Amino acid sequence: MMQTVVEIRNVTHRYKGAGEDSLTGVSLTVKEGETLLLCGASGSGKTSVIRLVNGLIPHYYKGKMTGEVFVEGQEVAKTELHELAGVVGTVFQNPRSQFFSVDTDGEIVFGPENIGLDPGEIRLRKEMIVEQMGIEKLLGRSLFELSGGEKQRIACASVAALLPGIILLDEPSSNLDWEAIEKLHEIIREWKRQGKTIIISEHRLWYLKDIVDRVIYMEGGHIEREWTAEEFGRLSEAETRALQLRPTAVSEHFSAAFQDKVDSNNSVRPDVSDGIELKDFYFSYVHKPYVLWKKKFSAADGDALSLCIPELILPKGKVIGVIGKNGTGKSTFLRCICGLEKDCTGIITVDGKEYKGKRRIGVSYMVMQDVNHQLFTDSVESEVLLSMKEKDAERCHEILDSLGLLEYKDTHPMALSGGQKQRVAIASAVAAGAKLLLFDEPTSGLDHAHMKKVGELLKQLADSGSTVLVSTHDPELLEQCCDYELCIRKGRAAYFRTIA
Amino acid sequence: MALKLDPRTKLFMIFAVSAVVMMSATTPFLWMLRIAMTMVPIGLLTLEKKYASAFRFLLLYSAALVLLFTCISEQSEGFLMALLLGYCCIIAQFMPAMITAWYVVRTTRIDEFVSAMQRMHVPDGITISLAVVMRFFPTIREEYASIRDAMKMREIMLGGGNAARMVEYRMIPLLFSCVNIGDELSAAAITRGLGGKVKRTSVEALNMGMQDYMTILFFSAALILFMVFKYLK
Amino acid sequence: MNDKKLQAKDFITIGIFTALLFVVEFACGMLGFIHPYIVASYVVMIPLVGSIPMMLFYTKIEKFGMLSIMSVLLAIIMFVTGMGYLGAPLIITAGVVADLIAASGGYKSFKKTVISHGVFCLWICANYFPVVVSAESYRQDLLDGGYSAEYCDNLFRAINYKTIPVLLILCFTFGCIGAFVGKAVVKKHFEKAGIV
Repeated sequence: MMQTVVEIRNVTHRYKGAGEDSLTGVSLTVKEGETLLLCGASGSGKTSVIRLVNGLIPHYYKGKMTGEVFVEGQEVAKTELHELAGVVGTVFQNPRSQFFSVDTDGEIVFGPENIGLDPGEIRLRKEMIVEQMGIEKLLGRSLFELSGGEKQRIACASVAALLPGIILLDEPSSNLDWEAIEKLHEIIREWKRQGKTIIISEHRLWYLKDIVDRVIYMEGGHIEREWTAEEFGRLSEAETRALQLRPTAVSEHFSAAFQDKVDSNNSVRPDVSDGIELKDFYFSYVHKPYVLWKKKFSAADGDALSLCIPELILPKGKVIGVIGKNGTGKSTFLRCICGLEKDCTGIITVDGKEYKGKRRIGVSYMVMQDVNHQLFTDSVESEVLLSMKEKDAERCHEILDSLGLLEYKDTHPMALSGGQKQRVAIASAVAAGAKLLLFDEPTSGLDHAHMKKVGELLKQLADSGSTVLVSTHDPELLEQCCDYELCIRKGRAAYFRTIA
Repeated sequence: MALKLDPRTKLFMIFAVSAVVMMSATTPFLWMLRIAMTMVPIGLLTLEKKYASAFRFLLLYSAALVLLFTCISEQSEGFLMALLLGYCCIIAQFMPAMITAWYVVRTTRIDEFVSAMQRMHVPDGITISLAVVMRFFPTIREEYASIRDAMKMREIMLGGGNAARMVEYRMIPLLFSCVNIGDELSAAAITRGLGGKVKRTSVEALNMGMQDYMTILFFSAALILFMVFKYLK
Repeated sequence: MNDKKLQAKDFITIGIFTALLFVVEFACGMLGFIHPYIVASYVVMIPLVGSIPMMLFYTKIEKFGMLSIMSVLLAIIMFVTGMGYLGAPLIITAGVVADLIAASGGYKSFKKTVISHGVFCLWICANYFPVVVSAESYRQDLLDGGYSAEYCDNLFRAINYKTIPVLLILCFTFGCIGAFVGKAVVKKHFEKAGIV
């Protein structure tokens, strides 16, 4: 019989300053070599369970806790965190914030250096890990130039270098695109093959179906349901939806779209008569050498362009999903439309009026992936007023009301939840009178319920006359709210079609 | 071929050059010493294939020197002239230290630097903090770039003409972001064993080679000669 | 666990805020390139702008060593970036003294924090040390070379040994004023958002 490596005994926990318990009476045992999936809505306690096992609760996140947690026979509360380093390893959600070094090599050896291993031994381990993960190409690079997916792979390598028997992953795919998720899938499978015990907390379920042995469904801080892998696989779409889970499978249509396997030639552009016209959008991050004046980009630059969209008409009052692999120009496309890349040529025509250069900023507004960057003031109300040329408190309240934010008008934006912050950003976009609203991956890391809310919101915005462009890696979002899909490939519009 | 110097040698270079830039050169011989000391990092930059910056430094430094030597003798008149002269003085005086620092910062990896500090028995607390400082410079740049974008979109770059607002709008989101990243970073670092009682090790193998001893010798000799000829004559 | 001693998390926090403070210094330093006289206004700008991260920093760790280590880091960074090491003793002394003052108030007393921040801001003067020292050396050379003392004094009107005490006093004063500014900002944003 397999040995029990993780045992949580009747744990109840409340974060310091929180109004309610994050976990209530959670008991869980995990056997050696088992792969466990924790699912459930945000705030259901998944992350707290992960933190119980790696010891961040109670050592790092303070609060009130009853019950015991044992990991490989040691009681976590009585073990120092650094002693757990070789026992439990954790891959976190945000690839940007979890690395300590500046370059990839340093990051992989960071853990072994901390526990004072001999340099020779560390070098051997590094070689072994690099080979196992197939990340030779990433060595010797600055972490700041890597994509999110590559960063996440380095994070996995860095965790693995400590050779922990138990590996925890806390929503590891939140910020990844399709391709990176498949790589992550391979890494988890390799760990499973090595016999490691793996606990994954995740919203995206489709990529884990074939790896997990057991699935735990959490709700309101306790374990609500438990399935074996077979039972979980048999759940129908209606059942997962009733549990507010994201689907366990992705339809053929979107699977092809996200893997970029759609033949762009036989899709017909929708015939749009009334729309926002984009013309001559050319841009490249690399400049041709110049003496006195920067040369303007044009179609003639051909392959050197990171963005090349000669003409595109965006239907008015619709939601358009922008898809494509990471690094193929989705973000560049959005940045150019809203005028952030000032070297980008390009004219936006709305209702017969042309907007060029800096003036594009007025017609379009982007809600960034990290909304924290675009909140500046100390209350929701002043945040919206800041966007208005003529301060109009009445209109401000109207906008806030339509987004369900009126009761928070005096709250500091940073005190709000992620979804609410997003709505504050939308409110300021509406207040600024933007006709073209751009969203950069608004649903990354969201659970089913929140994603649905975002989808509804996008529809609501489109219905009130705005044109919404949303870049996304979530097939569910496309399916739910988008009228059109636009695929960007190498900075070109590969295809643009209605979603059936 | 790049000449790989030990970080400790590089620190010594900074030490020597920083000392010399604080003393003015008066005789042609002293000027020669200073120029020679400046040429070494420029040469090293060239060896590291950083031609553009090496060339830029060379150009700026020699331009300042030429201007200084041709203009200083005349009683310079006028505001512009005085300003230009001031710039030249500052460049000629402090450029060597800047060039050396640039060379060191550009060619030393943080791991090497941390490893060198460990060898010099700097406490772990300080090396950890210092590594975080180095890691956070690029992070702050990234975060600030996003914040600037957001400001551009809302057209509040100038804070409505209010200097305090200008600072506030930049600083507040930056601080919120950095505090968040810091929290997540700490959690991730601690679960990987940071803060244990054992002394940290470093894979970075540091060896003082011939080139290191030569460099140290050259810079010590130059520094001593400079002081001897300036103060003892 | 001993809560009085600095933990790994605290070292990371110190690193982050040191980076932020240095970025403030660097941003102000950039302005200095526009005109040398702006350099003199560092003593006003850096304490005021830097007070925002600093006052947040004061609420973050509240253990002895936070300011001392920060000052050591600042001294190291100044050295490595070629800004000289003459100021290092001043920076570190200011850091340790500021730390002691804040510690005597248990890092809770705002009065002590104001004075502590004032003292800590003295590190900014270290920026001027190389300039002052080399200017003095230069002046001596000119005097030796037969220029009149009047001419030399005119040339170095703004930069000489006498200006250092003035700069120190300004740093301290604006450091104290900055503490109030920073505190207000912390209250307006971070306390309201529930971060502190």
